[in-house]
Amino acid sequence: MKRFILAVLALALVAVAGCDSGPKEALKVGSMSPLTGPYAADGNDIANGVRTAIEVTQQAGGLPGFESIQLIAEDTACDPRQAVAAANKLINEGVVAVVGAYCSSSTIPASETLDQEGVVMITPASTNEKVTERGLKNMFRTCGRDDDQSIAAIKFMTDYLKAKTLFIIDDKTTYSQGLADSVEKKAAAAGIDVLGHEHVNQGDKDFSAVLTKAKEANPDVLYMSMQNSATGSLLIIQARRMGLKCAAIGQDAVYHPQFIEIAKDAAEGVYLTFGYIDKDKPAYKKFLDAYTAKYGEPGAYSAYAYDSAMALFEAIKMAKGKTDAATISANLKQLTMEGASKKMDYLENGDSGSNYIIRKVENGQFINFWDPQTGKVFEK
Amino acid sequence: MDYFLQQLINGVTLGGIYALIALGYTMVYGIIQLINFAHGEFFAAGGYIGVIFITWLSAQGLHPYVCLGLSLLLSMLYCALLAMAVEKVAYKPLRYASRLSVLLSALGMSIFLQNGLMLTQGVYDKPYPTDLTQGGFAMGGVVVSYMQIIILVLTTVLLIGLNAMVFKTRIGKAMRATAQDKVMSGLVGINSSTVISFTFAIGAALAAAAGIMVGFYYGSVNYTMGFVPGIKAFAAAVLGGIGNITGAMVGGLIIGMVEIFAAGYLSSEYKDVFAFIILIAVLYFMPTGIMGENVDDTRV
Amino acid sequence: MGWFFLILWPLLGIRADGLFFAQTFSIWIKVVAACAIVLVLAQLHRAGRLEWVSRPVQALGSKVQAAYAVSPKWLLATIMLALAVAYPFLTSRYGQDVAINVLVYICLGLGLNIVVGLCGLLDLGYIAFYGVGAYTYALLSIHYDFSFWLSLPAAGVLAAAAGCIIGYPTLRMRGDYLAIVTLGFGEIVRLILNNWMSLTNGPNGILGIKAPGAWVPDFARGLSLEHVWLTRPKELYFVILGLAVFTILAVYRLNYSRIGRAWEAIREDETAAELMGVNTFLLKLLSYAMGAVFGGLAGAFFAAKMRFVSPESFTFLESAMVLAMVVLGGLGSIPGVILGVLALIALPEVFREFEMYRMLVFGGAMTLMMVVKPRGLWPAKRFGKRSEEE
Repeated sequence: MKRFILAVLALALVAVAGCDSGPKEALKVGSMSPLTGPYAADGNDIANGVRTAIEVTQQAGGLPGFESIQLIAEDTACDPRQAVAAANKLINEGVVAVVGAYCSSSTIPASETLDQEGVVMITPASTNEKVTERGLKNMFRTCGRDDDQSIAAIKFMTDYLKAKTLFIIDDKTTYSQGLADSVEKKAAAAGIDVLGHEHVNQGDKDFSAVLTKAKEANPDVLYMSMQNSATGSLLIIQARRMGLKCAAIGQDAVYHPQFIEIAKDAAEGVYLTFGYIDKDKPAYKKFLDAYTAKYGEPGAYSAYAYDSAMALFEAIKMAKGKTDAATISANLKQLTMEGASKKMDYLENGDSGSNYIIRKVENGQFINFWDPQTGKVFEK
Repeated sequence: MDYFLQQLINGVTLGGIYALIALGYTMVYGIIQLINFAHGEFFAAGGYIGVIFITWLSAQGLHPYVCLGLSLLLSMLYCALLAMAVEKVAYKPLRYASRLSVLLSALGMSIFLQNGLMLTQGVYDKPYPTDLTQGGFAMGGVVVSYMQIIILVLTTVLLIGLNAMVFKTRIGKAMRATAQDKVMSGLVGINSSTVISFTFAIGAALAAAAGIMVGFYYGSVNYTMGFVPGIKAFAAAVLGGIGNITGAMVGGLIIGMVEIFAAGYLSSEYKDVFAFIILIAVLYFMPTGIMGENVDDTRV
Repeated sequence: MGWFFLILWPLLGIRADGLFFAQTFSIWIKVVAACAIVLVLAQLHRAGRLEWVSRPVQALGSKVQAAYAVSPKWLLATIMLALAVAYPFLTSRYGQDVAINVLVYICLGLGLNIVVGLCGLLDLGYIAFYGVGAYTYALLSIHYDFSFWLSLPAAGVLAAAAGCIIGYPTLRMRGDYLAIVTLGFGEIVRLILNNWMSLTNGPNGILGIKAPGAWVPDFARGLSLEHVWLTRPKELYFVILGLAVFTILAVYRLNYSRIGRAWEAIREDETAAELMGVNTFLLKLLSYAMGAVFGGLAGAFFAAKMRFVSPESFTFLESAMVLAMVVLGGLGSIPGVILGVLALIALPEVFREFEMYRMLVFGGAMTLMMVVKPRGLWPAKRFGKRSEEE
């Protein structure tokens, strides 16, 4: 009898513990992105993406073991020093994980700091290869990688456009130049003649000199690797005005609703490489509804930031209230879930694979255009 | 040859924009020896106010060109008032303090205005209506857009107007007198406060005009857009001879041309390096700029 | 003041989509409210209504000043140093990180203070030396595996050389011509760092820089020394504290040396100084070089702390911030510069609570401080009237 009572008591305890496992408190997550300065547009998209993920999770009943989820959004201003300061601030606040940063040059030093203290970092936007290639255990990436993106772009040039010549313009950031260099290398290997590779400086508005050069070279394809969509639209407006009528290919940073909004007619027919997002699947619709209700049209990285945060919450759910970095990292690597942007499945090095496709601007809309995997045009 | 001509046109246009901003710099500098860091922000604010008025006026059903003209005038007027207000709040209390203190006050104002623009106008670029001005014509292989012509014409008209004002009118005379010697001009009955205020207003109005031109030419405005052209325009003003109106024009054109030709013939990534090297070289051999300076002689 | 708000209202209260008043009215209202509070306080102060606060504060202030005047310098220095040493044990990681930044900028501010404060040359490109120092250590560490301590003097020497190169052609110019030329040089250095791919790896920056190493006694294995990498903020704090103390002492000594006096003479009246037999050209060049040395040292530490350098850290805005620290604190005054650094580094961190409003408040505060205290928070005692260039 005594044993029975003990057993019942033990069971009851377990039950109570099960209902109320862990301390009931707020789960703190951080986000890091440039909320001020020239890249504030994308930075705010990221912070809002994370906010949306929190709202969606809270509405679905929150995380077991935590009363609420609290976001601490820090500003990096795309400056390495401020990024490290923000990382230290977040460590101090006791966050379990950080979604960010935007600029690869902020993500890299900040991740070193966070890794030292065992905080998981998931970047929704830094596509530079080095981000996940430094052997950090707690570094994850939801977006694609520059080397994969350039493969998709080159494939499109050779298979679909049958291009022979190429002119590249980049704006000299870790990301944009890294990508442009990778395209240049692979284009040469694929038998495309690179007629020129010009760099412009960040903050420039006038590209007429390099575009005149491009026009003189008369390439089949103009590849523009710009750090943000506004610069991309300035470039394409000036290119079209200059009478440069060749095909233009941009990349994921140029992909943003404001690209069309600013460039208007000039944007028509521009191709962009971006991760494939199935806009009809329920996960994306759920995200879109929640996001647009509060923050307007999502930017390029909003969905990735949302997915990063959702994957993180899933990993914490799996950990049953444990929040140490080792558990979260292990769970993140294990989990597979259908995200808004793509199927979330982190690899051993923290990457989540790339699924770049070619999109096109048609009638003021981005449409899925060509799939490098199958080499076919998407059906409308 | 087409290539050269095209680059020449590009250079002249860019130079014209720099010149418009540099005119404001040089006028303010000439009169109170202040490097007005907030000047670039007047330029950005002008661009924003311009697009606000254009959207609003065209929603009222006015003819596009009437909209354009009206919004240009309104935003010039607005920026003039804004500059006078900034001058009252941030610079006037420091009239007799060290020049570095005023410089910092200007820097603070610049950060304040830039972030104010960001907070209210949002972080995204604001598109300008392009249907009015995007046309152009081709001569052989050289493409000239209407906007480039408008920029050049406007810059020239403003320059001539400004020169006429400074050298032919009473207020211009007062400005020159105040620039030369504040105490003495005060003694002969010139209210230096009014004159300084007026100079700020004119400078900011020119910057606003440049802001709208840039908005139309490049298709959008953005809250950070004042910074880089601000530095270039400052360089242009110094290159031409600070305080000298024709000098600012010449300096702006030179900086614009050097940038375009360096990018077109040498290396686009080092174009700013070439622009600054030209600046340093010119100042080394002509320490008061190309056209000579025109400031308070009692200073040195 | 009233119509300043009226003018600001369209800017802060209308969106570019058209004339939407209500939507962004909130921001304008906040600015007005903040300014109104400041104004009311100023008015009350002027009317003498704040005496119940200001009098005790003033009394306290004068007492502190009196105490400061009588108590020996070494005692104050010891207390300050003790506080500085105890600081990391009392604060958390974030606090230490902010403190490290403060100390780095103290080195920079004092270095620039030599050029601007003592010698009176306006330098808008000072951050270039910081960049030279940072890249010197980064490259030495990556390619030749130099230790931090060996690279430190190298960084200082190279920065000094850069200072001479920049100084030589510019010193013929006066006043604001010097400002634009130094600004130009600062930009040139940044652009070279950003574009010289084979040397600096361009915008990608340099990764994998070693942290400073140190030998600590390892008692577990007898009295052997064990080599550790100083990567934690607490450990790095002491490295930069050492550097900052060295900088303070050096600048203090320089200030009271023959050279320092000569610099001040140049600042006050260059022509008179030359007449009195001061070799103005050489001394001006020396002030550039000395200022650059401290910038270079701070830069080397910065590279070691971040273990990553990229050109984004060396923009013109950064130069302007360092200049702001020097002027805000008080030109030519060591405690002033330290106060200025504290104000400008700590403020944005304090304002982090304002999130999006952070830089807006910061800009406003900067103008306000300048208007209220145009001569700086702690002006130098010896500062002539001539140099004010009215």
